[in-house]
Amino acid sequence: MATNRTGTAQRPNGATQGKICQFKLVLLGESAVGKSSLVLRFVKGQFHEYQESTIGAAFLTQTICLDDTTVKFEIWDTAGQERYHSLAPMYYRGAQAAIVVYDITNQDTFGRAKTWVKELQRQASPTIVIALAGNKQDLANKRMVEYEEAQTYADENGLLFMETSAKTAMNVNDIFLAIAKKLPKNEQTTGQGGSAQGRRLAEGDAGAKTAGNCCK
Amino acid sequence: MIPLLKNPEMNFGAITFFARQHKEDMCGSNGLPLTPNSIIIYGRAQKLKSINSPYLCQYLDIIRGKHERTVVVCQYCGIPLLNYLEKETFTLTDIKRIAYQILQGLNILHKRNIVHRNLSSENVLLQGNVIKMFNYGLYYLTDNGKLVSFPVVQLLYAAPEIYLDGIHNSLPNPAVDIWALGIILAELVLNKKLWNYLKVGQRIRKILSLLQSNTSVFERIAREHNAYDEYTNVPDELKEIIESCLNIDPTKRPTCEDLLKKSIFNEFLIQNGYINNDVKKFETFAISELYHWWQLAGGDVLQELKKQGLIRSSPPILSLPHLVLIEGNILGQERNPATLYDPRIVEMPLDALYQRFENISFSAFYPLIQIKSKIISQSEPQSYDATGLPLIIKERDPEYQFHRIILFRRLLHGYPFTKDLIRKEAEKDIPPLLRGEIWAALLDVKSDYKYRYMKLDKYTLTPTDRQIEVDIPRCHQYNELLSSSEGHKKLKRILKAWVFKNSHYVYWQGLDSLTAPFLYLNFNDEAKAFACLSAFVPKFLHKFFLKDNSAVIEEYLAKFSQLIAFHDPVLANHLYEINFYPQLFAIPWFLTLFSHVFPLHKILHLWDKVLLGNSSFSLHIGLSVLTQLRERLLSSGFNECILLFSDLPEVDIEKCVTLSTETFKVTPISITEREHENDEFRTKDEYDISGVTLHDLKQERYPRISARDVIELIRTNPDKILVIDIRNLIQYNRCSVINSISIPFSSISFTENKIENVGNNSTQLESTKDKVVVVIGDEETDLELFPTFLLRCNVKKVCVLHGGFNVLLPVSPTVLVSQNNIG
Ligand SMILES: Nc1nc2c(ncn2[C@@H]2O[C@H](COP(=O)(O)OP(=O)(O)OP(=O)(O)O)[C@@H](O)[C@H]2O)c(=O)[nH]1
Ligand SMILES: [Mg+2]
Repeated sequence: MATNRTGTAQRPNGATQGKICQFKLVLLGESAVGKSSLVLRFVKGQFHEYQESTIGAAFLTQTICLDDTTVKFEIWDTAGQERYHSLAPMYYRGAQAAIVVYDITNQDTFGRAKTWVKELQRQASPTIVIALAGNKQDLANKRMVEYEEAQTYADENGLLFMETSAKTAMNVNDIFLAIAKKLPKNEQTTGQGGSAQGRRLAEGDAGAKTAGNCCK
Repeated sequence: MIPLLKNPEMNFGAITFFARQHKEDMCGSNGLPLTPNSIIIYGRAQKLKSINSPYLCQYLDIIRGKHERTVVVCQYCGIPLLNYLEKETFTLTDIKRIAYQILQGLNILHKRNIVHRNLSSENVLLQGNVIKMFNYGLYYLTDNGKLVSFPVVQLLYAAPEIYLDGIHNSLPNPAVDIWALGIILAELVLNKKLWNYLKVGQRIRKILSLLQSNTSVFERIAREHNAYDEYTNVPDELKEIIESCLNIDPTKRPTCEDLLKKSIFNEFLIQNGYINNDVKKFETFAISELYHWWQLAGGDVLQELKKQGLIRSSPPILSLPHLVLIEGNILGQERNPATLYDPRIVEMPLDALYQRFENISFSAFYPLIQIKSKIISQSEPQSYDATGLPLIIKERDPEYQFHRIILFRRLLHGYPFTKDLIRKEAEKDIPPLLRGEIWAALLDVKSDYKYRYMKLDKYTLTPTDRQIEVDIPRCHQYNELLSSSEGHKKLKRILKAWVFKNSHYVYWQGLDSLTAPFLYLNFNDEAKAFACLSAFVPKFLHKFFLKDNSAVIEEYLAKFSQLIAFHDPVLANHLYEINFYPQLFAIPWFLTLFSHVFPLHKILHLWDKVLLGNSSFSLHIGLSVLTQLRERLLSSGFNECILLFSDLPEVDIEKCVTLSTETFKVTPISITEREHENDEFRTKDEYDISGVTLHDLKQERYPRISARDVIELIRTNPDKILVIDIRNLIQYNRCSVINSISIPFSSISFTENKIENVGNNSTQLESTKDKVVVVIGDEETDLELFPTFLLRCNVKKVCVLHGGFNVLLPVSPTVLVSQNNIG
């Protein structure tokens, strides 16, 4: 597994080359499909049965290594309830990647995922990498959304697609990894400046660059 | 004073059993683990705790031990009827009275759809002239026996249909209790322990053989026990009753209500003071309170059970499985069925408590709540003083809790007339045992709350249901009550009722967390939990649950930023520079008043204070959280800061309470006052702030202050205010606020954040010593640059007079002087 939980710390002393890339990633999808659970699995390797619902949004980071590049994800986990929709642009604005999550045991959540994809295609950065995650794969015996149906939809819309399970960890790291691979890794990777969000990211970036220097 | 405590009714004991354990790998339909049966039992038990009758032992507590062990703590006083049989004689009146009292008790249970099914002369306890039934809740607790693997049944007293239907799968039918009553009465009138000489199997056969009987069951029993003479001597009416109870056909047995109407019980009806249960008699204290004090004084039920050998720990190696298959199946961990249920009752010793309370005087049981005359208060013993102690200690101090509970009990009894006194006492602290009731009083819950709740629709399907359903299993589930299936059902009903009633509001995620503390405290009184929520929202979260609440939330968050700037400019400047604004982290804080952020025990302490404040208090709590994390925030950039809040570190709640109370006290009201506040709780006039648009508000980094607050400060607290007049010197000299200093706006350069730039008065600004620094200008002055400059120079408590200098002109008596006159 290419995921490296502690990020740069595990690199062999000084022997590293390669660069640090920082990406903003946002999770979207209907409430209770498992967005927070996916992030928790990816960032901490844990699964909480009674994961609390998300209000507003939560922020977490995780670093993975990909060949000679260190990819740092800044993850915004948003609230799924439709009412919190008005907050969403604040989080996906300037994001380079998005994971749109649905629950394979619930057809409605798939419909909602499609709406999110449309909104992202219209409103988010045109270069955004979107992945579709059919979560709760461990409950495949209660499946309401066929794999093929989702795959076809993903192909038509140029999305990455995987069925995942935050509970068993299946495909969780993989989907983040697939996104990391697809993201452009040139030097200038952070978001479009100008917007408040962009400025903020630039700030965060400053911190990351110092960390980057020691690896170069 | 011990005699009051040593009331023979004030005793309790415990029984223990094991709930059925789920198989290791069993999952619910949502793929998540099943709720442990002991938790389901725990949830169901709460209803039993609310039953109150002189003929039923009061349920006090349920304790969950290891491996699904369940301990039930319950009042236990008196001697089992069984112990009197064949030793003493009962008079006819005695027997009738016992029958009557058992029927009264059963009736209460049956009305609540609880079937005893465990009734026997062993768990009917006699004390003086009164019986109390014990262990009547086991069948209900265990969901008609489904949650345990042992049969809930009293062999000899079980009606024949119980055996016919199979012990595990019969539906609760109150007729089985009537049968058991029949057997008990037969025992009493014949004065015989029935079939005492038979073994278990034979007894069951005996009972089943009654099915074939074509004579009366009672008569057969009498004959089998060589008691035909006694049988013939039983007065007809009583005999008839016993025979009707012992009818083989359960549908033909009378109900409790039928039997209570019989004329032989008339003599008891008249003296029964308990028929009308709605009018509660005032008790100085209740057994549940005694139990609470007992625990505080070191009483430990599990420890007692261990001492008596009911809980035995076996070495861990014995609990290892014998075999674990690759697929995860575990073999060889079955518990010995004989240990699943222990019929023994362990009475809890109260000596330690008696000793601890030895010095409590008699008058302490009857505290005076109204103003005392000097003479009385002098002759009163010194009250137990614990004011200086930390809250945690006070809450665990038995004596202190004794005094608090006795006092609050009286005050609550006098509610609503004692409302003010309750509030005053609550300011000191709130005894945890009575918190639910005290909160309801602080929230002004009206006495007809039950009726109001009853009228609301809680069942019709609505589009919100899905959201509520997915939120409930994620809401404070570490708590046994809230994770029990009873808890889930109740929470759902309350939320649906709330959405139904507040059609102008909608369900926002987070409302579940907000409801949780109320449900937790009023688990047996759903209507009261609802009433508290309904009173809480308009008072503290007015308009927060509007479908479009963005203006309300934005305003709140803007005020929060300003409050930070007011009290902690250094932190405010840092957060501003790294673009770390409250939208990113504080929405769940304020929308749920921290109930989505902290665990329940912390919320309770926090809300003890919230309920005494106003809707701005929450902002101060937010500030106190930041203050606790201040050093880390100051040394962090954007990412670290936001991470800190996504995974909030341990916050000391008592510190939060202290800090927020402090800032709350020294912050002029208008600093945090909002447009969207509930007008029901305030009045406004030209001296208050109004008409500030959200857009302007968000631009302003420092708060505005109202003329009202400025005048108030000048008049009552002149050394707590520093007025800076930034108009030009001519205006200042002509007319200005008493003791104000003049720093003409045009005289300053704002390019650097140097306080020296203001000139002569800079020293005053360098050490404002907690004074509120009010900047006063007029239309011609720029009211943004200067206060922002002060803020950037880290001057504390900077605010701007709303409306400018001219609002002060009409004030009478005036707060203005002319410098020219002083000359
Ligand atoms: N069986 C199973 N359950 C899961 C899985 N992922 C999440 N869950 C459960 O689904 C519920 C909802 O998960 P969350 O992670 O809170 O969902 P969310 O999308 O963040 O929901 P919001 O915060 O309301 O938007 C929780 O009870 C999780 O334990 C999974 O892969 N398998
Ligand atoms: Mg979530």
